[in-house]
Amino acid sequence: MNNINLKEKNSSLFTNFVKNVINNPSIEVQKNFMDVSLKIAQTIKKICEEEKLIFDVPYNGKKYWEHGKNYQSCFVDGGVFSSVESSSAPFAIRSKSYIVKPSETLSNREKFEETIAYMGDLYDSQNNIYDLSEDPYEDNQLLNKKKDAARIVFEIACIVKHIFEKQKFNYCLLHGPLQTPVMPFSGPEFPQFKKNVVQNILPFLNLNKKEEKLNDRHFINVYLESLKYLLKSKFPIYGIVEKTNSTIYLRNLLLRSYKKGKIAENDYNRMVSTIIRYKINDGSLFSLILADSQALKPLEVEKQIPSKAWGDWDVQMNSFPKTFIGYLKTNSHQAPIRIESLKKSENLMDDYKYILASSKLLPNYGFPAGLDVVDKAAKIPAWLGRAAKSYYSKYYLDLAIESKNTKNVSSALKMLQGGRVWKNRPRAGKVKK
Amino acid sequence: MRKIISLKPNLNKLKSNLVENKISDPWTSIGTILGQTSIDDYSFHLKKFKAKKGDIVAAEAKQPTGDGRVIDVIVWGRIMEIISCNEFLPNEAAKELTEGNIDIQDTILPLTKNDAICTVKNLGYTTNDPNKKLSLMPLNYPVYPGGAVKYPASKDLESLLNTDMKGRNPIFIGNLVARKDVDVQVSADNMVSRHVLVIGMTGSGKSVWVRRAVRELMTKQYPILIIDPHGDNLGIVQKAKKLFPDHKIKLFYPKISASENNKEVIYTLIERLGNKLTEPQYDFLNWVLTKTDYETGTSLIQYISILIQKSNKAAENKRNKSTKSSDGPGNTGASTMGVVSRSLRKVYAKLNEMEQSNTSNRNKYPHLKFEELPDPYSQPEKIIQKSQVSILYLKGYESLPSSTIVSILLESLFNHRSAGNRTIPPFFTVLEEAQNFIPSKSEGQDGYPSVSTIKKIATEGRKFGTGLMLVSQRPYRLDETVCAQMNSYIILRLKNERDQRFVKNTMENWDNEEAKQLPNFANGQGIVSGQITNLPLTVQIKFDDDLTNEDIGDENFIADVQNWKETPENKKKREFSKDFDEVFDVDKRKPH
Repeated sequence: MNNINLKEKNSSLFTNFVKNVINNPSIEVQKNFMDVSLKIAQTIKKICEEEKLIFDVPYNGKKYWEHGKNYQSCFVDGGVFSSVESSSAPFAIRSKSYIVKPSETLSNREKFEETIAYMGDLYDSQNNIYDLSEDPYEDNQLLNKKKDAARIVFEIACIVKHIFEKQKFNYCLLHGPLQTPVMPFSGPEFPQFKKNVVQNILPFLNLNKKEEKLNDRHFINVYLESLKYLLKSKFPIYGIVEKTNSTIYLRNLLLRSYKKGKIAENDYNRMVSTIIRYKINDGSLFSLILADSQALKPLEVEKQIPSKAWGDWDVQMNSFPKTFIGYLKTNSHQAPIRIESLKKSENLMDDYKYILASSKLLPNYGFPAGLDVVDKAAKIPAWLGRAAKSYYSKYYLDLAIESKNTKNVSSALKMLQGGRVWKNRPRAGKVKK
Repeated sequence: MRKIISLKPNLNKLKSNLVENKISDPWTSIGTILGQTSIDDYSFHLKKFKAKKGDIVAAEAKQPTGDGRVIDVIVWGRIMEIISCNEFLPNEAAKELTEGNIDIQDTILPLTKNDAICTVKNLGYTTNDPNKKLSLMPLNYPVYPGGAVKYPASKDLESLLNTDMKGRNPIFIGNLVARKDVDVQVSADNMVSRHVLVIGMTGSGKSVWVRRAVRELMTKQYPILIIDPHGDNLGIVQKAKKLFPDHKIKLFYPKISASENNKEVIYTLIERLGNKLTEPQYDFLNWVLTKTDYETGTSLIQYISILIQKSNKAAENKRNKSTKSSDGPGNTGASTMGVVSRSLRKVYAKLNEMEQSNTSNRNKYPHLKFEELPDPYSQPEKIIQKSQVSILYLKGYESLPSSTIVSILLESLFNHRSAGNRTIPPFFTVLEEAQNFIPSKSEGQDGYPSVSTIKKIATEGRKFGTGLMLVSQRPYRLDETVCAQMNSYIILRLKNERDQRFVKNTMENWDNEEAKQLPNFANGQGIVSGQITNLPLTVQIKFDDDLTNEDIGDENFIADVQNWKETPENKKKREFSKDFDEVFDVDKRKPH
């Protein structure tokens, strides 16, 4: 079983291989990369087998859906309008749910629900020295972080809402990880959400009733509260990750074996170091190890690393729930998908069967069809985003004028004018049509 | 924000125009016009199942006028195509469902996200001025995106289609394919004077249309001549006698004869039906023809037998060395004369055979009374008469003799009309299997006498009331010049690409979207366009089943075989044959 045939395995390794070839065009390097990858794969497979982590997920599409049609499932994804402005972020953001119960009559079988939508300032400008001013990072890093934080919270808030409304789903799948490391958002400059935003998206928090503490509306706190609420769910919730460059499973697997005394400390350290040097990740490695419809049992992992946070977030980061991470290979030619949950699954096989059957509906893509559907539905089309942007720019100018701050007004005007665009470039020797 | 104009107030104005057809149902909104529109067409997002291909829909618009005003109008258009798409259903999912034999209903794939996008071809606009006639005008400004698309009430649509038909002798032909409750009428005036081309493959409903048109013209007592090579219209004879007791329904079989002044037609037929002749042989044939008087009205077969006698006589004289000036040109040899005689005998035999074949076909309908075609020169009134339908039954005749017969007949009738002596009234000719009479040049059938005759009638017929209806299943085989003279078209189902190309090349304002419909029409469905109608329409032609002939349905050969009984003669023949075989088996002297 340890003989892994590279040719027969999937293309994610090949993708990595090509990347390395581009960086290091030498044939020796290529060969060395292949040799190392193969050896690591063989070793890790042995460890997985030793730990009894690999299991087969049976699949028979017709047979499965004959009873799978009775499940009511909810697929969740978020969409953000991606206009980049170096100012307080004008967001058009929403999270959508595709709720489907195939056995119902057509009028009741499926629902596309805009569970949460928001347009405008998500972040509070009070006590935020960066609002209406320059981004302290280059390349709009702060803006991107604000967008990411908003999207992450909105997606989880969507599931929170379903739990709050006591929905009776058999499954709830999120497009993306169920828990994200919060370290990037721990910097001192990261703004708080507006009060009404938090009230809107997290109805259970009820901010009015309790005395508000510093940073209550900070992303890390809001996110933590949301994830804790997810633990109350009566239905299984999984985050499905399509592409993974992470080594989280691999490293936890090695650590676990090391802690169990099955591998030596020196070997553990050397292996981790090799994985880093060769940029081996879970996706490429497990696509070599797993066959079609094979899965890795979930490992319980810590996603938050308080020591890496910029501010004093130790208490919160230690309070985040643990995450269970597994992998499932949904076809023969794609990297396995990562499956995350916050609770240990009660019916792991059944749940994986459902995820596999949903993914087999898209045999090439190998990703749950319901998530593909909601991904398309959640995207904010350009026309809607542009409309939101122009509405918001005008609103922002009004605010700036009211503030009587010339810097603010200047900044707002820049936003209205828009940037330099390629189509305005002068052309030589041609009449512009 | 743009003001959306409601169609309802416009319709109220429109109502005053439609005195006999009151608007009873409100027009329902069925969709919204999409982002880009043009003078010719637009697309709209359709509410599910609220319209179908071929439907006529209406959209509000504004049109600039010549005097600088902008007026509210209704733009009428036809749905040419409906595209249904589900962007949430990737192709690979469909593949998995197929290969896994999985019912999509059982899976989590969405079923409700099908969008229907319609493409509409603009037909024109109508104004709402009660003082103006309700007629379609060409668009000069597109409809605006975001506007509502409405589904007009049947009565209103019917009024639009049939407006201005009064005074043009409207005749009912059927219903819109897409709206069964909308009756369609065409102008009989334009039909009988300006020629109609009816095309469609076998089983497409050409006969359905012919029966419909003939029946309606009969109610108007219009004289009709049907040239029927296959007997497709014998049903009219059988049934119409009961349905139209005051009408004369005449069924004729041909007699090939000509008048003195177009006997060249006869000569051509003899030349082309016979063997290929050398120059001396041809000279002799010419000599015999010119020396043998052709008496007007003489049967061609009689005439040829005289020619044969004359040729034989000349050859005999030649062999006996008795040279007379009347025995042929110059030094024509007896053998040359013999060859010509043989060729004439071949012509005689062929014509005789065709006549016999026609007779035996006629004999299949003992209950029908066939008459010999009267001489069209001296007795045209026996063929063309008010309230008379004359059918010339040509079954059994090959295409060249048929062409000759039709040429002689139509030429003569046309001459009577063009002479202006009121011998016969205006009449309408239905030419079935038109490709046999007006073959295109590419068919290599040059010199068919009927081509020039029909060309003349097509060009000048309008002046003299000799309208034509050409019916064909192979339009690409038709003469292009004649087709170009057709002013109205009935286009039924056509699958052959060459036929579709012909339609596209011949008809003005024909577009690819219309061509796409052609292979999919059901029996009796087709496009009616040209001067007989206000606008091109996709119509289900009414089926006049009371005019069909049960005797002349499709042959049922399987039933024939099942009921087959061997004749006693055949049975005996087989028995004896077996005996003979036994004799020959023991015959040792038989040659090897």
